[in-house]
Amino acid sequence: MSNQLEIKHLNASIEGKAILNNLNLTLPQGEVHAIMGPNGTGKSTLAKVLAGHEDYEVDGGEVLMNGENILEMEPDEISRAGLFLAFQYPMEIAGVSIANFIRAALQARLDEGEELNATQYYKELYEKMDLLKIDRKFTSRSVNEGFSGGEKKRCEILQMSMLNPNYCIMDETDSGLDIDALRVVANGVNLMRGADRGFLVITHYQRLLEYIVPDVVHVMFNGSIVKTGGPELAKELEERGYGWLEAEAAVTA
Amino acid sequence: MAQPTLIDNDASESPARPELQHQDAFEQAIAALPDQPDWLIERRQKAWDAFQTLPLPSRKDEQWRFATLNRNVLNQIVPGNGVDAETADRLASRSSFIADHAGQYVFADNQLIDSTPLDPELAEKGVRFVNLETALRDHTDLIEPIFLQAQAELGSEKFVALHKALVTNGTFLFVPRGVEMSKPVVAVYWSSAASTAVFPHTLILAEDNTSVNLVDIFLSDNPEAAGFACSMANIHGGANSRVMRKVVQDWNENTFSFQNDLTIAERDSVVKNVAVNIGALKSRYENMCRIVGPGADVKMYSLTVGEKHQEFDQRTLQVHEAPHATSDLLYKNSLMDECRTIFSGLIVVDDEAQQTDAYQTNRNLLLDHTAEANSLPGLEIKANDVKCSHGATTARLEEEELFYLMARGIPERTAKRLLVFGFFEEIIEKVSNQELAEKIRDIVHHKFTRHQA
Amino acid sequence: MSAEAETLSQIDRDKGNFHYETDYAYDAGVGLTPEVVDYIASVKDEDEWVREFRQKALKVFEKKPMPTHWASEDLNNIVFENIRYYLAKGQQPTRSWDEVPDDVKETFERLGIPENERKFLAGVEAQFDSEAAYSRMKEELEKEGVIFVGSTEGLMKHPDIFRKFFGKVIPIGDNKFSALNSAVFSGGSFIYVPPGVKVRQPLQAYFRINAENFGQFERTLIIADEGAEVTYMEGCTAPKFETSTLHSAVVELVALKNAKIQYITVQNWSDNVFNLVTKRAMAEEGAEVKWIDCNIGSRLTMKYPGVILKGDGARGEVLSIALASDGQHQDTGAKMIHQANNTSSNVISKSISVGEGRATYRGRVHMPKELSNCKNNTECDALLINTNSKTDTYPAITVTGEGNSVQHEASVSKVSAEQIFYMMSRGLDEGQAMSLAVNGFINDLTRHFPMEYSVELKRLIDLEMEGSVG
Repeated sequence: MSNQLEIKHLNASIEGKAILNNLNLTLPQGEVHAIMGPNGTGKSTLAKVLAGHEDYEVDGGEVLMNGENILEMEPDEISRAGLFLAFQYPMEIAGVSIANFIRAALQARLDEGEELNATQYYKELYEKMDLLKIDRKFTSRSVNEGFSGGEKKRCEILQMSMLNPNYCIMDETDSGLDIDALRVVANGVNLMRGADRGFLVITHYQRLLEYIVPDVVHVMFNGSIVKTGGPELAKELEERGYGWLEAEAAVTA
Repeated sequence: MAQPTLIDNDASESPARPELQHQDAFEQAIAALPDQPDWLIERRQKAWDAFQTLPLPSRKDEQWRFATLNRNVLNQIVPGNGVDAETADRLASRSSFIADHAGQYVFADNQLIDSTPLDPELAEKGVRFVNLETALRDHTDLIEPIFLQAQAELGSEKFVALHKALVTNGTFLFVPRGVEMSKPVVAVYWSSAASTAVFPHTLILAEDNTSVNLVDIFLSDNPEAAGFACSMANIHGGANSRVMRKVVQDWNENTFSFQNDLTIAERDSVVKNVAVNIGALKSRYENMCRIVGPGADVKMYSLTVGEKHQEFDQRTLQVHEAPHATSDLLYKNSLMDECRTIFSGLIVVDDEAQQTDAYQTNRNLLLDHTAEANSLPGLEIKANDVKCSHGATTARLEEEELFYLMARGIPERTAKRLLVFGFFEEIIEKVSNQELAEKIRDIVHHKFTRHQA
Repeated sequence: MSAEAETLSQIDRDKGNFHYETDYAYDAGVGLTPEVVDYIASVKDEDEWVREFRQKALKVFEKKPMPTHWASEDLNNIVFENIRYYLAKGQQPTRSWDEVPDDVKETFERLGIPENERKFLAGVEAQFDSEAAYSRMKEELEKEGVIFVGSTEGLMKHPDIFRKFFGKVIPIGDNKFSALNSAVFSGGSFIYVPPGVKVRQPLQAYFRINAENFGQFERTLIIADEGAEVTYMEGCTAPKFETSTLHSAVVELVALKNAKIQYITVQNWSDNVFNLVTKRAMAEEGAEVKWIDCNIGSRLTMKYPGVILKGDGARGEVLSIALASDGQHQDTGAKMIHQANNTSSNVISKSISVGEGRATYRGRVHMPKELSNCKNNTECDALLINTNSKTDTYPAITVTGEGNSVQHEASVSKVSAEQIFYMMSRGLDEGQAMSLAVNGFINDLTRHFPMEYSVELKRLIDLEMEGSVG
């Protein structure tokens, strides 16, 4: 089935330790899904596995993006195929300006011999920066170097909007943000919502979901999706905490 | 610069005592320690042979770059052979450097002249703090693997060999598994008679999960008498041990001092070596640490206050053989008059030692335009996942800082003193023993203030 | 890529890796003897003082030991007896490419030299093995009295000025290889810029080793008279032979009062060349000398450009970049010798070690006690890529005197796997991610370079990085 991201029976481990355990999830383009769950349950692992991080061993299952298995692909191929990961902890790249970085990423998407239109590029970059309330002076600063937590996250969203992916995986994008920064980030995401794009919003807190209202909420626990529901599920989690999951997991086990 | 020579102000010395380089000096040193095991005689014989074969280093040797080594440094010096009873009493009474200690030995010209027994509570737990003679008699099995086994790697092979061949006294501190000591044990070494050589020796064996604290103090009886000192300290920090060793070198300014320290740090140990260098005409200090266990953390700190024609030649080596370890070195030198300092440091990170954090900093404060500071900070990195840096700065007092203080109404002399003391303080506070820190403050402040007067 | 960049893109490793069979009219044969030195002096029809200078230098060379007590043992692999010390076709350097012999011309055309000359250079000299094959400068500069010729020609036609400064900045016995060069030197550039003349566009020299078992020993002397300004650039290539090749140049710069000299090198020898070069400048009162030194190629490079700050207020600068790939050792650095008050020097060195490559920094800063208000700032940063790369840093700093200050900082870091993953997750392949990181590492330095050179350097690094990931 195409036009969706299908995660089927996914098992993954790091250094021999199993993290993801028969995880199943389908994200169609045009929808926003949230994954919630307690710390250490494998949410970030899922994000890294989807993006092709080599430290994680895939022990079974498949991930089909528009029908194509991406588990065999390199991180850059996955990215160019249309998946974007907004990092929980974005890396600092000394000496590489944001403008050059995004430009290189866009250039990598063009055919050989084809040149990016620089004027068009800067026009679009500045528009999006204005939208995300990022000072234009930032373009000449090194990627994430010396940025505050909020600046780093906005920079992630800026990259996301410039690279125009089909699927956006947002790993704890709300962590470390104050409410103003959170609004700006959420606004940026909401503007990108559309029929041709799916979002997987990974978060520990319900707070973000007040601004980015999901279509579907998944609850993740011990490496699997244990419950799926509508936006109301997020509220329930916020009120009841995650403790009851453990009891429920014990019953189903 | 005029080449200072040894001052021989005591010609009445008994002619029967052989000079350092004579076979008899070695024979006497062997005879001085009763009941030596064969392995030790063998080691010392080997060292003596090496001492006689090795050439005296010269400035052309890369490891002696910038150093001035007197060609006669070994001439007309005899091994120290103890002091008379009256001198012993006098020096013993001047040896209360730290009142609040857990045990103390006092040596003069290689002879044990006074001791305060180890805190009985520690003794009960198996801690041993003994002189070499006792160590050889009662703890042969403990010291055999390590005693006189350290090798010089920074150029002083000849002097280390000399030490090994002629050492007759010193201390051995043993702390058994799990025992923690808080108060330091102290060893005071006096150089008394003119033109004699002393060989202070420190051997620390800290077993796993211990906490260890030792202070060495080097002093001269006579402020003028020509002296020769050649010391060695070997520190073995066991797994998860915390070892703190401090050494105050305050020989008189007619002494040639050779100091060789080696630290071996095992898994997760924290070893801190703080050196304060005040005395000696020429001081050559080689300080090495070898990190053999992952997670170890070694700190090497040094403060030098030099004046007149003093030369402080410091060579350091931080070797990382195990991953995830940290080493931090900070050597601060303040220089007055025609004093010279040489700091030559090297960090070596082996290819096995990934995730190493290693730092090396040398700060030189020039207080007179005739003083000379040399810096050779080096890095040799064979692993790639490391964070290493070194920095060396040489400057005089910041004009802006001085101005700031004076703008608050502080007279220039006082302002300078405050800034210089502030420069010292970064190291002094690392001594983390109030009493000792206060003593060090007295000594260095006195030296600076005397100069300023 | 910009148009300028395209024109410069000829100097990559593979582009240089070709070789035409060439007949030589003059060949000093193999090995180094007083007769060989005499032969060179005779072929070049030199004055007696030059011949004596050469013979004296040979004796110094023979007497001096290999500096392996501090430098790489690899030096012992140079077999001096197997090297040819002088090879020339006997031609005079021409002023027109048409007159350059076909095989030589073809070489330089393939390397893009005539094209560059048209585009952005004020003058070009192209050396083929021991002698210059082509040398030409814009006419207006000639009218202003600027001299830009091969050093052989310089020695012949301008002996007075040549002799006045020759060997004064770098004495014969400075080191073993300066002695070797002094004995067998041939080729290189001689430049004199008269007082107040500012040469706006760069003068370029191009050095080509064509013959196997050959040693190139060019000697360059640049004199900027009072208030004059000049920028000189050199590039070099050699084909990759079975046996190793030796390049041992001596470069002396003299910046008289208030003069400015900028000397730029992009060294891209093939990786069997021993590149052992002595470069030093003398800066008189108010003068400024800047060395920009980029080392990409060679098997072993040993090069520590220096400035003797001889006059009040003189300034010296070394900006260097070294890229050590598999099998390479870039042993580079800087020397700043302060000899006058109020002099300042700045050294920024960036090295990148890739694969089994090794980068070494050696530095010397000296401020004696009779001086006041001198400043030095040194930064050396090393970047490591892959587990087997190595880096060493060995500066030596001596400071005395009134109000002199020195600051030295060095750091070692690496490109982390997480950084590479982050960039790849944006769609860059591994090689692109790597070169982005490397270019980021040197960015703050290359932005001070002339545009043509920073673009060229970036391109060479991209090429190296693509080869380094597998």
